[in-house]
Amino acid sequence: MRFSRKIEWQKASIYIVPSLIILFIIAIYPMLYAIWTGFWDSHLHRPEVRSFAGLENYIKLFLDHRFLSSLGITFLFTLISVASTMILGFLLALLFEKPFKGKNTALALLTIPMVMAPVVSALIWKVFLLEPDVGIVNWFLSLFGIRGPYWISTTPWALISVIIVNIWFMTPFVMLIMEAALSVLSKEPIEAAMIDGAGYWKRVWYIIIPSLKGKILFTLIFRITIDYRMFDIVYTMTRGGPAFDTEMLSVWVYSVALRTFQMGYANAGAVVMMIIIGVTCLLIILPIIRKKGELA
Amino acid sequence: MSKVRRLTKVRTLEILRLIMIVVVVFVALFPIIWVLLASFKSPGDLMRVPPVVFFQPTLSNYSDVASENFLFYFKNSLIVAISSVALSIMVGVPAAFGLSRFSIKGKEGIMLFVLSVRFMPYIIFALPLFFIMSRLGVIGTYGGLIFVYIIISLPLIIWLMKAFFDSVPYSVDEAAALDGASQFRIFWQIVLPCSLPGLATVTILSLIFAWNEYLFALILSGRDAQTLTVGLTRFLGGMETAVRWGMLSAWSITIITPVVLMALLVNRQLRKGFTGMVED
Repeated sequence: MRFSRKIEWQKASIYIVPSLIILFIIAIYPMLYAIWTGFWDSHLHRPEVRSFAGLENYIKLFLDHRFLSSLGITFLFTLISVASTMILGFLLALLFEKPFKGKNTALALLTIPMVMAPVVSALIWKVFLLEPDVGIVNWFLSLFGIRGPYWISTTPWALISVIIVNIWFMTPFVMLIMEAALSVLSKEPIEAAMIDGAGYWKRVWYIIIPSLKGKILFTLIFRITIDYRMFDIVYTMTRGGPAFDTEMLSVWVYSVALRTFQMGYANAGAVVMMIIIGVTCLLIILPIIRKKGELA
Repeated sequence: MSKVRRLTKVRTLEILRLIMIVVVVFVALFPIIWVLLASFKSPGDLMRVPPVVFFQPTLSNYSDVASENFLFYFKNSLIVAISSVALSIMVGVPAAFGLSRFSIKGKEGIMLFVLSVRFMPYIIFALPLFFIMSRLGVIGTYGGLIFVYIIISLPLIIWLMKAFFDSVPYSVDEAAALDGASQFRIFWQIVLPCSLPGLATVTILSLIFAWNEYLFALILSGRDAQTLTVGLTRFLGGMETAVRWGMLSAWSITIITPVVLMALLVNRQLRKGFTGMVED
């Protein structure tokens, strides 16, 4: 190293510090504010009349049926849609792996669902596809003599609907990443296995998946965090209903804060939400970092 | 004999694969095509069961959209998205360069911090920002929303641009330094021009995310800075108003058209951006 680290910092700071200051103002400060507010009993429209609540909000959270069920729904939603998009996306990537005429066009068309605003996708599905009486899905089902359910407004179909829309929205994303990863994969070990007589699925399971492990883990983290904080699709489609059937954590925080105006309580919920996802990500990332440290 | 049979088997599999690919693309695009059709339907055709594919097209839904203040929302979305992305690029690209070119203490920490901002549940920022911004009186102003939207694009820009800068070899810097170029000149006239395709990718990606944003806009845009996504959900209907089908379809199509066009025009770059988002 030619320069001491201190001099490096002096020279680097002019590039880096502006970004850090901005991130501090729009991210760190609000986050600290949320943590602080979580210890107070405060009302949205009367912030001046507040009283210190200590851990009261947190104790209340873990006795609150609506919050606990929101936690459960969020886990369920995240688990099902992450698992389905990862598996489906990977299988589709395999399907698209070998070159064919029009491959580039097909991949280009598949990017369309993911560049659309989630709000728009949600609305399209809700109003034009899953509408019970004139929606095309129920009409399609009726061709087979199936009477389609009231998708958005009944249990458990509301949750199933939002999961379906999320899978439709997110599968192409996983698929594109996996397709790109497959295309740069070294062919030799695969061919060697082929000569040894390993069948296609054996090759996928024992060679392709292990060599994509890093990519898969990062995609997994990405998918988990995105689904976990899902707001747009759920809020647009169901507003958390029927009853509180699809009230995911983000929607819970939003409603508690802006419908019942319990600012302190809502922020306490948001903090719990943040801690859960933080710990989850750390648990997934730590083994990778540790492994990298060993290699270095 | 068996060779011929194997060949036909391979061929059948190949045809089966192509059929599956067509089905996949169809499923992915069908909702959009369906709404595109719906946006040209008259109210009567919209409600018809079984659904009609051939009908007398009408532009009335689009003129309805125009009369519902569409331009107001469009302008807001455009201003907020473009300004916030421009600002993020101005501060984020140098930061990415700094993180790529200097061996400073705590670099991994900073990168991890930037990454974690992107993965945080946004609601944890949104509520306090509502509080803080109300107190400052900037709810519903462009400035407020633009500043908040940096939260979406800045981490993305730093993270992706650092990867692009990392791929420009250090030997380029060293050669320029030997010729007496200052650090800033190396950044501005050598490394940055080498990374222009990367910058284009990052810009497009950030613009798309800002254009599509909903949560912050819903909470912080007040009445004067409401964006297209917030404007759209007004027609969903509620307790006393009915769903306005025609309006919804035309509005949806107009929101997604710029993004879809952009995505198709620079599709290769876009795909690179999406895959770059999960680069380790």
